[in-house]
Amino acid sequence: MAANPELRAQVESAIADNPVLLFMKGTPDAPQCGFSMRTVGVLEQVGVEYGAIDVLPMLQPLREVTSEIADWQTFPQLYVKGELVGGCDIVEEMFEAGELADLLGTEQPESAGAASEQSGEESPNRSGGNDGEPYQSPPMQIEN
Amino acid sequence: MAADLTELKEMIEAAIPGAGVEVLDEGGGDHLRAIVSSDRFEGLSRLDQHRMVKAAVAERFEDGTIHALSVQTSTPSSQ
Repeated sequence: MAANPELRAQVESAIADNPVLLFMKGTPDAPQCGFSMRTVGVLEQVGVEYGAIDVLPMLQPLREVTSEIADWQTFPQLYVKGELVGGCDIVEEMFEAGELADLLGTEQPESAGAASEQSGEESPNRSGGNDGEPYQSPPMQIEN
Repeated sequence: MAADLTELKEMIEAAIPGAGVEVLDEGGGDHLRAIVSSDRFEGLSRLDQHRMVKAAVAERFEDGTIHALSVQTSTPSSQ
């Protein structure tokens, strides 16, 4: 089924406007899916500013859009500089390899290896060269 | 309905001939992990490698058998 063209245009401009944009289930403060939570955890550890869009209110229409624009159907999806990076697996793999920090132009946190094990703990290396708390945009509102 | 892990393994093997495939249940029968090793991944981005694996089992996503599939890909030479 073809994606809604208006929604597609909104998604494309959100991707263009946000150098780092996460499509996720729930919000960074209240992720509704373990994979989205893990991806948020990586971004928090990397300490990068990012925008986040909660896909749950429009799951199926957004799936159709991302199928068209990026040939990717599952969420979360991380876009950096307009390009799909991947879902949780790829983001975690790249984080652990230091490739994500390279892509984002940030310092690799020393705790990177513990990314998968960490649960519920605050990122311990916040003071290590990150410039303040990661910025979280409010979820984008897409009108039906 | 729990996914048939053997069927999924066969679907991936059929789509990526010669691949080493392992499909694991990570909880509840619908959160699965596929570990796939193939020469055919050589030169492809991670995204494209994952696309190949997910495309192989797309039917089982669409019918709701699988809720989530973690994918780990590698080439035999990188192991």
